[in-house]
Amino acid sequence: MAPSAAFDPQWAWARFEPDAHRPWNLALAGHLYRRAAFGAAWPQLQRALADGPQQTLDRLLRPGAEAAAFNRQFDEYETPPGDDRSATELRAWWLQRMIRTPHPLLEKMTLFWHGHCAANNGKVESAPSLQRYLQLLRRHALGDFRALLAGLVQDAALFATFDAKANRRALPNPGFPRWLLEAHLGQASEQDIREAARAFSGWFVQLDQLRFIEREHDTGNKQILGSTGNFGADDVARLVLAQPATAAMLVRKLYRWLISETAEPAAALLAPLEAAFAKDYDVLALVETMLRSNLFFSPAAYRQRVKSPVEYALGMIQGLETSVATQPLGDALAGLGQNLLHPPTTRGWSGGRDWLNPATVAGRLRLADALLRGGPYSENLNLAALVQKHGQPATIFFAQLYVQDEPAAGSAPDPRHAAYAAVAQPEFLLA
Amino acid sequence: MKTRREFLKATAKAGALFSFAASAPRLLMRSALALPPGADQTILVVLQLSGGNDGLNTVIPFADDLYHQSRPTLRQVAAQAHRISDQLALHPRMAGFARLFAGGQLAVVQGVGCAKSDRNHPGAMHMWHTAEPQPPGPQTGWLGRAADQLWNPDTANLPAAFVGAIPQPFASNAERVIVPSLRSPRDLVCPPAKAGSAPGDRLLDGARRATSAAQANSVRIENVLKAHAGDYPQYRLADELRTIAQLIRADAGIRVFFTELGGGGIGGFDNHAGQLGNHCSLLEQLSASIAAFARDLQRDRLFDRVVLMTFSEFGRTLHENGRRGTGHGAAAPVFVVGGRAQGGLIGTHPSLADLDQDGQKVHTDFRRIYAELLDRWLGLDSREILGGAYAPVGMLRA
Repeated sequence: MAPSAAFDPQWAWARFEPDAHRPWNLALAGHLYRRAAFGAAWPQLQRALADGPQQTLDRLLRPGAEAAAFNRQFDEYETPPGDDRSATELRAWWLQRMIRTPHPLLEKMTLFWHGHCAANNGKVESAPSLQRYLQLLRRHALGDFRALLAGLVQDAALFATFDAKANRRALPNPGFPRWLLEAHLGQASEQDIREAARAFSGWFVQLDQLRFIEREHDTGNKQILGSTGNFGADDVARLVLAQPATAAMLVRKLYRWLISETAEPAAALLAPLEAAFAKDYDVLALVETMLRSNLFFSPAAYRQRVKSPVEYALGMIQGLETSVATQPLGDALAGLGQNLLHPPTTRGWSGGRDWLNPATVAGRLRLADALLRGGPYSENLNLAALVQKHGQPATIFFAQLYVQDEPAAGSAPDPRHAAYAAVAQPEFLLA
Repeated sequence: MKTRREFLKATAKAGALFSFAASAPRLLMRSALALPPGADQTILVVLQLSGGNDGLNTVIPFADDLYHQSRPTLRQVAAQAHRISDQLALHPRMAGFARLFAGGQLAVVQGVGCAKSDRNHPGAMHMWHTAEPQPPGPQTGWLGRAADQLWNPDTANLPAAFVGAIPQPFASNAERVIVPSLRSPRDLVCPPAKAGSAPGDRLLDGARRATSAAQANSVRIENVLKAHAGDYPQYRLADELRTIAQLIRADAGIRVFFTELGGGGIGGFDNHAGQLGNHCSLLEQLSASIAAFARDLQRDRLFDRVVLMTFSEFGRTLHENGRRGTGHGAAAPVFVVGGRAQGGLIGTHPSLADLDQDGQKVHTDFRRIYAELLDRWLGLDSREILGGAYAPVGMLRA
C-alpha cells in the first residue's frame, strides 16, 4: 500500500458539512450506504439526499427502538424448538438479518468482528455454540471493546476453533493466546505466548459449554507483557487492553474497514483517534468519528475498498426491494470465497484485492445474472414494476441506483438487462 | 504446421497489425491478443485417493511368498498383472498405467508416507494436507500455501482450482487466494460484462483487469467446449480430468488443480471387508481415467506441461483381516504421471519381512515429493511452504 497523502488530522476528522465545492449528492449517499450499511434501496437514497449526510448518519448510527425489537424477534427465529438446527441455517438467518435489519451498521460491525476473531464451524460443529458466539459479537459490536474481548476469551466456539477444547495444566494450547497477543499487538514473543497459554490452562469445552476445571489451572506466577502474577485468561485480555498498541491496531483495522484499504494511513492521521479510543474503547464513538468525517466523504475514501461477496450480493438485493432465499445465497457466497461462520483462518478473510480473481469475478457475474432473473433466490421479483414505481427509464434508474452514474453505453431498455448492465460494471465491484 | 501456442505467440507479436471494432472494450481486446496468463507454464494436478489405498494390491510384489501367504483371498497372481520389474507388477485392471509405465511417463515412487502417522483417517489425511510445517497447528494446506505464493493481484491470475463435487479437502485452504470448487468448465463461463476503459485509479483498474480476465477466460472456455472433448471412460474421475484438460486447453491460467477419487470423507479406498471387487473397480477407474487424460493432453502437445501426482493418507496392512479386507497401514506408492516425469520405479519396495505393525515401513518422507513438485515443477520456494528443506526424489526429468 502506498502511504496516503498527508491529511491534516484536524480537517480529516472534522464533521463533513457539504458546501458548493463538496456538494452532497447521490454518489456520496450511495457511498455512505455502501460503507455504513449493505447498500440501499431507491427510497433510502432519496431520503438521504433530502436529509443531508449528518442527519442520515443519525439514523444509521442510532436507529431507534424498532432495531431492538427486530433483533429480539430474530433471536427467536434463530432458535427453533429443540436443538434441530445447522450452521447453514444460522448462516441463512444472519444473511436475512443483514438484509432486513433497521440497523444495518450493527450487522456490518458484527461481520467486522467475525473477521477479527473468526470462529469456524469446521472445528465448532455446533450451531448453538456458533449462535452464542454471534450473539456475543452483535451485543458488543458497537459497544465497549473491553467487554467484547472479555467475552471472546470466555467463548466456547472460539476455544473449539483454536483446537483448545482441553487446556490441561501440563499442556495448555498456545493457539488462542497467540491470536490474542498477535492480533492486537502485531507481534508477540514466544515467551509471552507460552506464559499466556499457562494462564488459559483449566478451560475445557464440554458439551459445547466452557467449563473451568480448577485442578487443571496452573496457579503459578506468569510473566506476560512485562507484568507478573497468577494470571488467568481474563487477565491476559486485560493486559492486552492496557497496551497502547491494541487501540492503534484496532483503529488501523477499522480504517481499512470503513474508509480505505488502498492507502496506508499516516501515523499522525490516526493518532487522535487512537488516543480517544484507548481511553474507553468505545467502538460506536470511533465508528461515528470516522463515518461523519471529511475524510470519509472525500476521494481518499470513495470506492477505495473492494466489496466482499456479502456486500456485493446485498448491494444488489437491497435495491430490488424484495426478499430473497438466503439458504442458496449463503452457498453462493461461500463459492465466491466468503463462507460465513467458516472463514479460511482465525484471522478471517484477507479481503481487498484478494476477493477478485477470474473465477470469483465470473462467479459474481453469474450470481448477479441469477439474482436478477429471480432464479432460485426470489419468486416474486418484478423489475418492471420496480422501474415503473420510481418513474424513470430502466437504464437510468438502475445506473443511478447501483453505481450512481450515467447508464453504461449500449444498455438495453429491458429492465433485467438494464439492471444487469449496471451491476456488471467493474465500479460495482468496489465499495 | 504451427501449434496453437505458436500461433498465439505470433498473434501477440503481430497485434498492432490487427484492427478491431471500435466498440470492443480496449482492455478486453488487449487481453485477447496477448498470450493468456500462464500459457507456457507448468501445471500440477494433485489427485487424492480417499480412504487409504492398498499399495500392495496396486503395485504387487508377485514374486514374494509372504505376499501370497498373507493374502489368501485378495492376492493377485502374476499371470494377470502387468509386470513392471522381475519382482513387481501393476494390478490386472491397470492396463492404462502399464502403458504409461512402458512409455516412460509414469514414475512409481515407493515406500512413501508420514513417519508420525497415527493411522486414523482424519489425522493422517491432515498430515498429507498440511505437510505438517513448523510451527505446528497450520491453518492452511500445502496447496493453499502454494496458491498464495503463486497469487499476484496485479495480474488477476487464478492460481488454483479444486475440481469435484465433494467439499474442498483442506489441502487447498489458502490464507489469501480464493480457490474455486468447479464441477465443469462452465462454472467459469459468465455472462458478458464491459470492463470499461476510462482512466481509473489502481483499485478500479484492478477490478477492470479481473473483469476482462474473467471475460477472456469465459470466451476461450466456450471455444474449447465447442471442440472435441476427448475420449474418456464413463467415470466421475474421468469427467473431472476432462474438465481439467479443457481448462488447460483454454489457458485459464490455473497452475494447480486438485481433485479426488473415493468420495471424500473416509472414502472408498477404506476397505476393511470385501475389498476385492471394490478395490478392482477403483483401480480401473484410476488407471483408465488417467490414461485417457494423458492421451487427451498428448493430442494437443500439452502433456509436457502437466504433472499429475496421486496420494492417499496411508497404505494398508499386509495381512487380510478375516473379512476379506485390510486394516490401516503405513507406506504406499505415490504415482507421478506426465510427459516430463522420470518414468520407472523410484526407491525400493519396502520389505514384507520387516513391517511396522503389519504395515510397510516408510523410507521416503512424503514432503520430499511435495518439495520436488514445488521447487522443480512450479518454480516456488518449497522451504517456505513446507517449513523445512526436503531433498527431491528424482521423479521429474531435468
